[in-house]
Amino acid sequence: MAPVTLHNIQKHFGAVSVIQDLSVDIADGEFVVLVGPSGCGKSTLLRMVAGLEEVSGGQIRIGAREVSDLPARDRDIAMVFQNYALYPHMTVEENMGFALKLKKANPADTAQRVKKAAEILGLEKLLDRYPRQLSGGQRQRVAMGRAIVRNPQVFLFDEPLSNLDAKLRVVMRGEIKAMHQRIGTTTIYVTHDQIEAMTMADKIVVLHDGNIEQVGAPLDLYDRPANLFVAGFIGSPSMNFLEGKVEEGVFRTDKGLILPLPANATPEEFAGRPLVYGIRPEHIRVGDQGIQGRAAIVEGTGSEIFAKLDCGSEQISCLFRERIDIRFGDTVGISIDPKQVHLFDKASGRRL
Amino acid sequence: MTRRLMKRKTLDRIGLLFVALVMVSPVVLFFIWMISLSLKYEIENGAYPPILIPENFAWTNYVQVFKENNFFLYFWNSVLVTGAATLLALIIGVPAGYGIARLKAERAAIVIMIARMTPGLSFLIPLFLLFQWMNLLGTLWPQIIIHLVVTVPIVVWIMIGYFETTPMELEEAASIDGATPWQVFRLVALPIAKPGIVVAFILALIFSWNNFVFGIVLASRTTRTLPVAVYNMLSFEQVSWGPLAAAALIVTLPVLVLTLFAQKQIVAGLTAGAVKGG
Repeated sequence: MAPVTLHNIQKHFGAVSVIQDLSVDIADGEFVVLVGPSGCGKSTLLRMVAGLEEVSGGQIRIGAREVSDLPARDRDIAMVFQNYALYPHMTVEENMGFALKLKKANPADTAQRVKKAAEILGLEKLLDRYPRQLSGGQRQRVAMGRAIVRNPQVFLFDEPLSNLDAKLRVVMRGEIKAMHQRIGTTTIYVTHDQIEAMTMADKIVVLHDGNIEQVGAPLDLYDRPANLFVAGFIGSPSMNFLEGKVEEGVFRTDKGLILPLPANATPEEFAGRPLVYGIRPEHIRVGDQGIQGRAAIVEGTGSEIFAKLDCGSEQISCLFRERIDIRFGDTVGISIDPKQVHLFDKASGRRL
Repeated sequence: MTRRLMKRKTLDRIGLLFVALVMVSPVVLFFIWMISLSLKYEIENGAYPPILIPENFAWTNYVQVFKENNFFLYFWNSVLVTGAATLLALIIGVPAGYGIARLKAERAAIVIMIARMTPGLSFLIPLFLLFQWMNLLGTLWPQIIIHLVVTVPIVVWIMIGYFETTPMELEEAASIDGATPWQVFRLVALPIAKPGIVVAFILALIFSWNNFVFGIVLASRTTRTLPVAVYNMLSFEQVSWGPLAAAALIVTLPVLVLTLFAQKQIVAGLTAGAVKGG
């Protein structure tokens, strides 16, 4: 186990700059999730930590060691790949023991460690099988087992769940988190799925176009997004964004809808500036606040109802937790909790 | 509706069978005719209309092949030349293919291809002089060395194709697991490429075994390979088709058996299960 420090990391592919100037501190034993849309540089960043991609500038430290120029084999890390990357010609046992065999570890000791990892992951009965004889979830576990056996300083995960079906993904998500809590190894986990990020991370790093948008604990990001990008990226369904201005103590959207101001806002502070009004669908309730909308889309899942309402010429997404009977075309009155409203500066995108 | 569909399906199948038959017929007919020739006496071989299945099988043709020629020596020469040329080609070509595939060194691959495309005769003569000067001409070495011109490009090109399709993540995983580049090649890339190596081995073997031009120029009386030996059975006085066909069949046989035997190996993909969907 060791802390990981990324300091002023840069990456160019030829003239294309993928990562500009990025610094993150990862504490010992922390579970950090790098999240962002495809092409944001998160996988490249992980591969640079792994030593599979060269660093164009900056430093990577694992513990006290500067590893930027070390080959992958000398960095003492383990990685789980998206497609598992199990050696097809080796059994599960050989796959898991491969790293120790390369280190010329005592075979009895290796067998012992493989057995222990197999127990943690429920793979005892599969040790003699080949990867092609395993299901997706089992392959995923073997890939994790291969990482555990090494007892490395850092675990790296590169979108490890994206090849699994939805149900298994939820199960494996829990298993990875449980494994981390049990072993406590510093972990860097890359995903494009914000729900994985929210549920697993101690700390989330939101990346966009090779820059860090925000670093923080999952709920911090949810409650206090730094800017429009993070606000829109974290949370599902996405936050509603409505453009407009503060006028006469209320927020008036460009299309004329009138909405309540945030609880702590003083109207004078924002008057006249072009702003973006943000409210999450789950913070809108059925109520009588003077806002009426006609249901354009209604989707019930049983536990909640998602609806898109046409309020004048604005469309607002709502997520109702209570069972209400609305159908397409019905008119619904809604109320917005002023404590949950965010205001963003339109020009900079920053939260105010 | 179902009946019409079934009729349609049967017709399709018959059509397919017919097309397949037409496509393979030249090869099969040659082969059958060669077997027939090798089992007939000289009189029947010249008969008109031609006879396909003779009344008495002339097994003596086969006996004659072994009796009249130094057939076992030529067979052994062929085994040595082809074996050495194929093994050397694998030793050189598999790592070369890996290196070219990983470094994306297409130009190197093209240079090797050019060596293969150049007509054999253009470098045979200078090499003949070179071998003469090196005093190698009475030995099998000239043929082994020159067969590499045939076998190495085959191996390199097949291996480039194979290594390009094996997933890079496996090698990355190995390097993270602590493997040096050489260990990555030996312990991961090489075992996975086994089906490709088998294909390269068989094709190199067939091309080398069947090679005629190099042997006819470079072989002396005692260093002949089988194709050259068969050719030498044609004498000025007469052509005895029976023994000739028998000899040709014997030459073909090892390659044929090998191909049948190795078919399974070629088809069985070892990468299954390495990545999702395998």
